[in-house]
Amino acid sequence: MRLALAVLATIPLLGQTPAQTPAPAPTPAPVPADASSASPTPTTEQWITGTVDFGFRFTSVGGDNDVYRSVVNLGQGPRLLGLDLTIVDPKKRLFDRLDVRASNWGGDPYNTIHLDASKRGIYDFNFDYRDVAYFSLLPSFADPLLGTGIVLDEDSYFARRRMSDFQLDLLPGHRIVPYLAYGRDSGQGTGITTFESDTNSYPVADQMFDKTDNYRGGVHLEFNRFHVTLEQGGTTLRDDQQAYDSTLNYGNSYVPYFGQTLDLTNLAQAYGIRGSSIYSKALFTANPFSWLDVSGQFLYSLPNTSVNYTQFDTGNLVLEQAILFYTGEQALGFAAGKQPHTTASLGFELRPLKRVRVLQTWMTDRMHTAAAGLFTGMILQPVSATLNTPTVLSGLLVLNYNQEETDVFLDVTHKLTLRGGYRHEWGDAQTGNLLIAGPGQESSELRQQVGIAGINFRASQKLTFNGEFEGAASDHAYFLTSLYNYQKMRARARYQIVSTLALQASFSLLNNENPAAGANYDFLSRQNSLSASWTPSKRVSILTEYTRSTLRSNIGYLDPEFLTPVASLYRDNAHNASALIDLALPGYAKLVPRLAFGGSLFISSGSRPTTYYQPLARLSLPLHKGLVWKSEYRYYGYDEAFYQYEGFRAHILQTGLAISR
Amino acid sequence: MSSNRFAALILLCWPAGAQTPAPAVPAPAPAPAAAAAAAPSGYVGSETCQPCHEDIYNAFQKSPHKLVDTQKRRGWEGKACESCHGPGAAHAASAEKAAIVNPAHLPPAETDRDCLKCHLNQPTHIGRIQNSHAKNEVSCTACHSIHANGPNGLVPRKAVAINELCAGCHTAVWAEFQRPYKHRLPEAAMSCVDCHNPHGSILRASAQSYAANEPGCFRCHGNLRGPFTFEHAPVRLEGCGACHEPHGSANPRMLARADVRFLCLECHANLPTAPGPIKNPPALGGVPPAFHDLLSPQFQNCTVCHMKVHGSYVNQDLLR
Repeated sequence: MRLALAVLATIPLLGQTPAQTPAPAPTPAPVPADASSASPTPTTEQWITGTVDFGFRFTSVGGDNDVYRSVVNLGQGPRLLGLDLTIVDPKKRLFDRLDVRASNWGGDPYNTIHLDASKRGIYDFNFDYRDVAYFSLLPSFADPLLGTGIVLDEDSYFARRRMSDFQLDLLPGHRIVPYLAYGRDSGQGTGITTFESDTNSYPVADQMFDKTDNYRGGVHLEFNRFHVTLEQGGTTLRDDQQAYDSTLNYGNSYVPYFGQTLDLTNLAQAYGIRGSSIYSKALFTANPFSWLDVSGQFLYSLPNTSVNYTQFDTGNLVLEQAILFYTGEQALGFAAGKQPHTTASLGFELRPLKRVRVLQTWMTDRMHTAAAGLFTGMILQPVSATLNTPTVLSGLLVLNYNQEETDVFLDVTHKLTLRGGYRHEWGDAQTGNLLIAGPGQESSELRQQVGIAGINFRASQKLTFNGEFEGAASDHAYFLTSLYNYQKMRARARYQIVSTLALQASFSLLNNENPAAGANYDFLSRQNSLSASWTPSKRVSILTEYTRSTLRSNIGYLDPEFLTPVASLYRDNAHNASALIDLALPGYAKLVPRLAFGGSLFISSGSRPTTYYQPLARLSLPLHKGLVWKSEYRYYGYDEAFYQYEGFRAHILQTGLAISR
Repeated sequence: MSSNRFAALILLCWPAGAQTPAPAVPAPAPAPAAAAAAAPSGYVGSETCQPCHEDIYNAFQKSPHKLVDTQKRRGWEGKACESCHGPGAAHAASAEKAAIVNPAHLPPAETDRDCLKCHLNQPTHIGRIQNSHAKNEVSCTACHSIHANGPNGLVPRKAVAINELCAGCHTAVWAEFQRPYKHRLPEAAMSCVDCHNPHGSILRASAQSYAANEPGCFRCHGNLRGPFTFEHAPVRLEGCGACHEPHGSANPRMLARADVRFLCLECHANLPTAPGPIKNPPALGGVPPAFHDLLSPQFQNCTVCHMKVHGSYVNQDLLR
């Protein structure tokens, strides 16, 4: 029966002829009159074209090498710097066209490869793979004993994340386009985490491995006046974390507790997390009348997880609540959680008059997380202190969010469009314990009215201006730092002074205030940016950009120990500039060497004054047709005024050949 | 009738003949012959454009839009230029700029409408109505090069080129990527469209979604997705941007504050709240006072102990 259904289902699909949507497959050059030689490329074109760029990188790092690795992390050695190949099969056998792009292979902290293959009207296939290394070891970030000269490398890690994605679209350009996709995201690495035990915390080694597989399939239905996409997918999760230690570990507190020095001598801690989810998508757009477009979507997901937790630790430890010293402890826990999540939106664009457009959208987002489990801590030694403390675990997080927005656009003249609108956001949220109402259980609301205005002025092809404003007043917001009573502005102007010189300026501002007693949150951020693109001659091009950003945040809180009111002040005033000057040097035999130099600088003052310079120079020297010798010099200079030991300077020289055909 | 039989019946009834191609525009466009009949002197064909606009014509031969010119069923066979520019006879006769429609000179919304005649009913446009590009009159042609990009499609596909295109307008955002702690966009390990959908999205800032309605961040950070037994509410209610500046920061881990403790205390402000279940407090995050001496370095980085800050499976205080 299933086989028959599959066959029947295939008949109408194969019977399709391409719809009007242009297929992404490239189109050949003018088709020769002879149909038998219908080729995607004229015979004069090569069927394989592309560039391979390889070379050797030399590095010289001074200062803190760990910080260099946390920020830049480029190493020395031979590299495949870039690969860009296009294969066009003249006979269109397995594919019409195949594109492969790869970059930074051979030990760099980020390797990528991307492949596109297509056969017009039959399939489109994409594959993407990335391998990114994350290194983080910053003494100033989380080393409580740094001031005493002891560096325990806490909260550091060295991990790799690998992401692969495959997608296969069948019958692209037809009315019914089925597709299948698979993605995997995995990470593994080691680091230093903390084992927290009452009154002390102990830096311990950590091993991480996680893997998420994502399977999905669906169909696009593309018809004259409407489009529908239906998708069904699912994910699986495996996340294993292990922390361990077998040395004498005094932790972060050297202060004796009731006369005793606390320590950890052995730890084995493991999380076994398994999860899965199903999800569904239904999307549609429709154009029922020439003056009306409608679109909507319904999204549903149901992720769930379960965990098995085990812990065994020995040492001289204390249960603070009972001031009970013990030397051995075991803990077991398990829990399971679910999170049904539904999102839906509906909107339309109405054009009642030639110069007027009305955009209306509604949206709702509903999520309900519920989890429960059991955790048992057992003090095993000394036997006289044996204690078994089972705890029921239960957690709850509910979110209901709604939004309605109306925007009206008026084309006042051919060159001027004005926009006015209104958005209403409302919702509620609840956090706390699934089973018991009590301290820690909170519920709150969101009620926000937002006014919107905009202007788009196209004085000429050479001069355009765009501005946007949002102003909001709120009755409630979820967090003290959430957008509350705020004004948001953006403006951008572009002016092409002459054909060789263009300027662009932009400005953005966010002012947010929450008058909650005791907090009086006051936040202001501003960014001003100016960029210029100048090509004074065919041999010279100059790109420059400067951005000035300022951020000010003041908010009150109560000091946790004495509950005295204090303020958290954060300032970030930054200058950022970048430039690239590209020169075509005098050539020989139609081979033109190029020299480019420039780079970027970042200078900030405020709460974490930092300077970060990245000047560079590049030289491309063509040796022969299709053969270029490329060299690049780059300097990285990083300094922090408050943490001068974290600065570094790196000289990086890269040289190699680029072969193209 | 069993569900299988019902499904079979539907499939059998599905008319293969109904899968004929759509016309060039949702509202039936005239086929070339019909168009010629309707406006005999209006259309002149793409080859008439070639002598004067040779560069564009040659580039167009490799463009995906060339299909419009070659496929009879699209309704514009041999007249791809005029499918966007309108009838060209008057322009061909007079060589006057004003005698032909130039979408580049139209108001952006009109230019978009020209593109959407064919492209509206496609999955990428589901979020168009919510999209800030559309609302700010950024037309399709601001990013898509209709004539010139050759066989590589209408828009850049390489990370470097995508980022350059976006940075052309979003200069201040690109400046944030020049800070020391950032996602690896300048190194071309990522591109702007990995996180944002330029055509619009149901999420804020046109963010990409993952697994239907989850934030796109979980595509690469799947281990932080949960659901956790004890969620950290801002992750779900405000998103990663509540604590991180994903474009770049001078603070380690792209945090929004230089010191971790202030990032935490700004929400967990210990402001007085009533005991018991709390209805409509000034904000979520009211916690009983924790008697930590913030002058002691041990307590200056909350995540040293509260390490499961994105959510914990076994500890309410996010300690393990």
